Amino acid sequence: MKHIKIAYKTKLNNFQLDVAFEIPDQGISVLFGPSGSGKSSVLNHVSGLDDRSDVEYAKLELNNVVYDDSENNIKLNPWLRKIAYVFQDNRLFSNMTVLQNIYFGYKRRQSTLDVNKVIEKFKIKNLLQHYPEQLSGGQKQRVSMVRALLSNPQLLIMDEPLAALDYQSREELLPYIECIHKELTIPVIYVSHDIKEVLRLADYIVVMNQGKVIDKGELANLCVSQPLLTQAEGASFILQGEVEKVFVDEKLLQIKCENQSLFITGQGVKAGDALRILIHAKDVSLCLTPAEHSSILNCIAVIVHSINDKSDGKYEITAKLGEQLIVAMISYRSVKALGLEQGKAVFAQFKATAMIK
Amino acid sequence: MDIAPILVTLKLASITTGILLILGTPLAWWLSQTKNKLKTVLESVVALPLVLPPTVLGFYLLMALSPDGFVGGLWATISDSPLSFSFTGLVIGSVIYSMPFVVQPLQASFEMVGKPIQQASYSLGANQFDTFINVVLPLSMRGFLVAITLGFAHTVGEFGVVLMIGGNIPEVTQVLSIVIYDHVEVLEYQQAHAYSAGLLIFSFIVLFITYSLNKKLMVRL
Repeated sequence: MKHIKIAYKTKLNNFQLDVAFEIPDQGISVLFGPSGSGKSSVLNHVSGLDDRSDVEYAKLELNNVVYDDSENNIKLNPWLRKIAYVFQDNRLFSNMTVLQNIYFGYKRRQSTLDVNKVIEKFKIKNLLQHYPEQLSGGQKQRVSMVRALLSNPQLLIMDEPLAALDYQSREELLPYIECIHKELTIPVIYVSHDIKEVLRLADYIVVMNQGKVIDKGELANLCVSQPLLTQAEGASFILQGEVEKVFVDEKLLQIKCENQSLFITGQGVKAGDALRILIHAKDVSLCLTPAEHSSILNCIAVIVHSINDKSDGKYEITAKLGEQLIVAMISYRSVKALGLEQGKAVFAQFKATAMIK
Repeated sequence: MDIAPILVTLKLASITTGILLILGTPLAWWLSQTKNKLKTVLESVVALPLVLPPTVLGFYLLMALSPDGFVGGLWATISDSPLSFSFTGLVIGSVIYSMPFVVQPLQASFEMVGKPIQQASYSLGANQFDTFINVVLPLSMRGFLVAITLGFAHTVGEFGVVLMIGGNIPEVTQVLSIVIYDHVEVLEYQQAHAYSAGLLIFSFIVLFITYSLNKKLMVRL
């Protein structure tokens, strides 16, 4: 498989940005990390929009073509890079209609994509004669995605395209982004600090903090190998399983995970589908005997793996469910009361927060 | 009523505005984009006519344009006619005098278009020139409208500089504001009134049309 090679070393306002990584040339690679961790700077480097003043090292290779190489003084101008950009603030041309907007890149890049098909896919046909100011935030962002896609890029970068939108528009837009992923073969670099977006969209993930890459890998592997992504909303983790049964009336799914059964509300999947479930560590409780007559449906047998003092009265317990890990945040009193220690068999109860296809 | 001064005035204002657009657009663009230290120096120079008495400007222009002056001397080597007390000299003076009224609105509107929109254009395959012509210029229409109106109107209203370097030659350099002054000086209030009222109404109509257009453009931009 071909890779996109990215390396960038420069001084930001308060820290040094120093990254070097490769991402697959297909699927969605999410650049994940808290605000101010240097994600956008990396994007500006990739797109060529940075004004290179004190860059120490820069390299970018896309499909074996060198776009950027500071050592040999190569830096391709942004308009010569076949990289399209979807900005957080849409940046549509306000003096042009939607149609003129989406043809802007199409004409200049001599694209041969099927315009009507993309217009249909993104359901913007009835917006074509409108001006951007007449559109809602969600519609604008849809148009800006179409504009970027129609320029026939070899790489699409999206900088928190949902961050400026309200919850409902975000939910509406996510399927379109998934559609880019499934139906077009363009690799995508997606920047986000929203864990839910990451889990829903990412195939590959690069976790950044303070200008450094602190972890990277395929989302599936990353999730199994470590309780991850603790930056947002407290610690959370992911379980992978397979839909066993769908209770249509109850909108409930039975998931088989490491030979045990979990339940989660959800629809739109069928038996046999692979599924990922997001669970917040604070929603997990541990007990020595399986609870009966509880409103919490999920109660699974696990083996305590590690006990970490988080020094704020909370203990982070990781436990093994077969090959996968779960994480529970409980008080010191509970740790003592249950006599928790490595290797002890306990039961974990939790509400599953969200399912991720 | 002699219409020659009106024609001279309109001709002067049109040519001046045209030249200012040609010179002022790249200058305003450069000023809006650069981080160069020279920027502040140039901005100050461009703004000088706003604060200087027209007589000061006129005086130095007279010096420069006279056959012994720097510009006038150069001119004399390529042309038989002198630059001072000529229509060409008047155009040069007007261009300098009205420069801030064209450059400043243009610079402001270029700055308002902003880097982010240019970046979007680059990322869609448009180079810098393409972006300027097809993205920045259309988005700066209001700035151009203001620049053209102010540049034109300010040149029409010019008095002090013209008085110093124009020479008040009928049908060549005699503009409206001077004619009005001449009439008042010899107590011909009737004639002064005719020209003054005409200029007043003309100025009002120009500004009214501009502001109406501006409102229309504002809906889109």
